[in-house]
Amino acid sequence: MGLNIILLFKYVPNTNTVNVDPNTGTLVREGVPSVVNPHDLDAAELALELREKYGGKITAMIMAPPNAMKGIEFLMGMGVDEGVLITDRAYGGADTLATSYVLAAGIRTIEHYDLIITGQETLDSSTAHIGAQLASWLKLPYVYYVTEASLNDGTLIVKRQLESYTEKYRVKLPALITVLMHSHQPRPVTLENKLRAVIKKPIKMLTNNDLKLNIMCTGLRGSPTVVAKTEFIAKIPRKKEILKDKSPQETAAWLLSKLKEEGFLN
Amino acid sequence: MAEIPNKFDVIVIGAGPAGSASAYYLATKGFKVLMLERGRSPGSKNVFGGRVYVAPLREIFSDFEKTAPIHRWVTRERMSFMYGNELVSLDYEGNDHKSFTTYLSQLVAWMALKAETAGVSIVNDITVTGLLKEGNKVIGIKSGNESVKADVVIDAEGVNRLVLESAGTVPPLKPSNVALGVKEVVKVNPEVLANEFGLGDGEGMAWSLMGDVTSGLPGGGFIYTNKDSVSIGLVMLLDNAISGANDEVYRYVERLKAHPKLNKYFKDSRIMEYSAHLIPEDVWSLRPPKLAYDGLLIAGDAAGFLLNLGYTYRGVDFAAYSGYLAGKAIEQAHELGGMSAINLAAYPKLLDQSFIMKNLKRFNGTNKLMHNRRLFTAYPAMMVSLMKRIYSLDYESQKIFNTVLASAKENGVGPFTLISDGIEVIRYL
Repeated sequence: MGLNIILLFKYVPNTNTVNVDPNTGTLVREGVPSVVNPHDLDAAELALELREKYGGKITAMIMAPPNAMKGIEFLMGMGVDEGVLITDRAYGGADTLATSYVLAAGIRTIEHYDLIITGQETLDSSTAHIGAQLASWLKLPYVYYVTEASLNDGTLIVKRQLESYTEKYRVKLPALITVLMHSHQPRPVTLENKLRAVIKKPIKMLTNNDLKLNIMCTGLRGSPTVVAKTEFIAKIPRKKEILKDKSPQETAAWLLSKLKEEGFLN
Repeated sequence: MAEIPNKFDVIVIGAGPAGSASAYYLATKGFKVLMLERGRSPGSKNVFGGRVYVAPLREIFSDFEKTAPIHRWVTRERMSFMYGNELVSLDYEGNDHKSFTTYLSQLVAWMALKAETAGVSIVNDITVTGLLKEGNKVIGIKSGNESVKADVVIDAEGVNRLVLESAGTVPPLKPSNVALGVKEVVKVNPEVLANEFGLGDGEGMAWSLMGDVTSGLPGGGFIYTNKDSVSIGLVMLLDNAISGANDEVYRYVERLKAHPKLNKYFKDSRIMEYSAHLIPEDVWSLRPPKLAYDGLLIAGDAAGFLLNLGYTYRGVDFAAYSGYLAGKAIEQAHELGGMSAINLAAYPKLLDQSFIMKNLKRFNGTNKLMHNRRLFTAYPAMMVSLMKRIYSLDYESQKIFNTVLASAKENGVGPFTLISDGIEVIRYL
């Protein structure tokens, strides 16, 4: 028995190494390696902890170009059991609506699931739409900013962290939760898990031949979002000055005069 | 959880040219092979200058020319001696398809894919930290606190031999054993390749630079033309770079690009990739005590298989071919009944009979030449001043022999030094 968990993730350009094209204001993704969205790793860790406690199976799922296979392999290296890669040219250029539409169809191909887990948001777009939209498509109870989850009498008990308080919910399964960023320390990848992924290759590919969705509702055509304008925020030049070997009084006086000079103090 | 095999016939450490070639060969012969790679994907840690000789690869991969990522066949070879803002070049225009340019990351990815298709299990992003031993016999590998067993391990970990060092097989690298290569790949306008380099479709140039390239540090520069980009870089002896380099090494490459006679090739270019790597230099001192142990073979850069001729390096084909021979040796040892050092002794024998050891022996001593600073400073300067005396004149022409002596003298090279250095060059090259 145990929990059948679907772990949704995104494969994103590692924004630590991404540059912005100063002319167009868009991300220069060429040559930038992709990684599993770090906030989804929190979700992966929670999923693995739940599986350890209650048994079951974790299926990582993504809608992305084929190179996201590497992302599934990474998650399997952490201990995820299997993967589903939904990939089709007709799904390219999707906004969150067109993405959640396809993901919902992908999830419906899985016969039995108890819980869908994903990260709070993605590193590269930070909309936090997918969880809510999917819960709507699939008509599932939905809790976001989850920090803890456990089973009790066949229902899920989750803790949700808000700014100044926490909430506790009892949710009927199947349910969808998104996990608060930085709430979990993702475990390291192991050789044994990676070997299992490489040798057993339990990764399924789904294309629109399988999902048979109306392509007017997928990809760019199915995306109502319009990016009207991207404005490039110029870098603020730093005026690095270093004052060394002065007494605390002198240093403080110097700092004050500098702050006044720059108009931060009167 | 589902069962996974905890033992393989062969484990290959490192999915570079040597590792991928050995894994491919063994998988085609029915061995169950696991190849472990530290980088994100095969090839991601590999660096080369820019050119590969094709014959050895064609022998390993029969469909090589049809499907490998070949950018351009090298049809033009150029050697330039540089001094100040001037240079003297030798140009060779041929028609043969003996070597080609590519991106090593693409080439190795191709080789690894061949291996994977043949049945090799490849695991990326895993660092092998040591050899698993039973007495003196290698019985697998360690990665952190995990281990995997195999009948035999091929160590193709590259020049920085952390696994072999941790096993006590080789001593730590010394700066004098290795050279430092620094390289940029820059995107250029296609017209630059056609007009400035004078290359037709699919034609490539390999260009070596000597002299005032590394500010007098022994070493040299290279330029290779890829499909729609150019690789430019420098190689300098690491101990000289440590003691003599007075700037960040990448700045030497930047300065080279800005050289008044080279900058036209890099006009409007954009850096795509920047890399640096150690290169086996003193290959004999890098040579492990043995190449075949009980349950262990060493291939590629880890074994020091790289040929430096001063004007060109050969590493990728040497590495790949040594991996291929390691595969053949394992196949033979299997027929003999096991992976003992005695059964695996075919490996050093095959190497001795191959172009690898023949070349390494033939050119044993070239690295001594590399330590002769005059070859990097005085002689290129001499070439330039010689040409200048012959060609750059107003009224009176000069006699060539007098000019040679005069330009030698001008550069502080006496006639006896000239003769003895000449003999040295002829002897070693």
